[in-house]
Amino acid sequence: MSDHYLVKEGHCLAVFNSTHRVLKAEGLLKGLAFDILLIPAPRSLQADCGLALRFNVELLKAVQTLLKNHDLLPAYISCLQDGQYTTCEECPDDNH
Amino acid sequence: MITINCRGQACPAPVIATKRALETSPSGVCVLVDNGAPRENVTRFAQTRGLQVTETADGSGWSLVIHGSGRQTVASPTLPVQTTGERILLVTSDRLGEGDDELGRLLMRNFIHTLLETVERPDRILFLNSGVLLTVQGAETIEALSALADLGVDLASCGVCLDFYKKKDQLAVGKTTNMFSTAEQLLGAASVVRL
Repeated sequence: MSDHYLVKEGHCLAVFNSTHRVLKAEGLLKGLAFDILLIPAPRSLQADCGLALRFNVELLKAVQTLLKNHDLLPAYISCLQDGQYTTCEECPDDNH
Repeated sequence: MITINCRGQACPAPVIATKRALETSPSGVCVLVDNGAPRENVTRFAQTRGLQVTETADGSGWSLVIHGSGRQTVASPTLPVQTTGERILLVTSDRLGEGDDELGRLLMRNFIHTLLETVERPDRILFLNSGVLLTVQGAETIEALSALADLGVDLASCGVCLDFYKKKDQLAVGKTTNMFSTAEQLLGAASVVRL
């Protein structure tokens, strides 16, 4: 079950370790009219800066592609499915 | 019962006139007001004192009949303010802390979002100055503030401030309030946390 009021079933969270990167990623996706929201990462997914971009799972591929093309990949992306966070993509590079 | 005509008056004038009228006529007052903020603010002012309000629409506005004994003696301005026991969060800016503006805005929305996850929540959040920009259409904080309102947190934005920023018609969550109510709520609160 979600531990976060702002995260519902079918939401994905791109969790970042860098404030500057998450702000850049937000600006990029907002500029392209993506329906995203910058939120504090849930306790169970906390990374260094504790910030995550929330979006619907339908946007997952597009978000992944865009962030990769702009060198803005997050630390990892998790999706809430059946009450559990499942990591969809983990990026080992520590520059996130 | 006396009747006072506050039509055409902007807030907080109708509230102040109502308070004065109640001090001279504790048995009741009929207040003629315009629709919108004057009607809402006068009604709220009376109800927070435990007074009954009967509203009647007429051709040119609203007639509010205020009566009842109330929870506090409005006729005695020397009485101390009754403590409501509320915890109030006073948000005076759309940014949290001093420093970089972008970081300040990020911290403020992060704080508002985090309030949904904390065990302790404020009873009321008052938004003043650029803090009202957090409650208007297009603000990133609307979803979280709406959820807080659903959880019972009272949200009120300063009407003067909304007007100043030309956002009066864009309030997306909570209600508009005036300095009279704001001052009373702050003075009557058990604790106030200012951001």
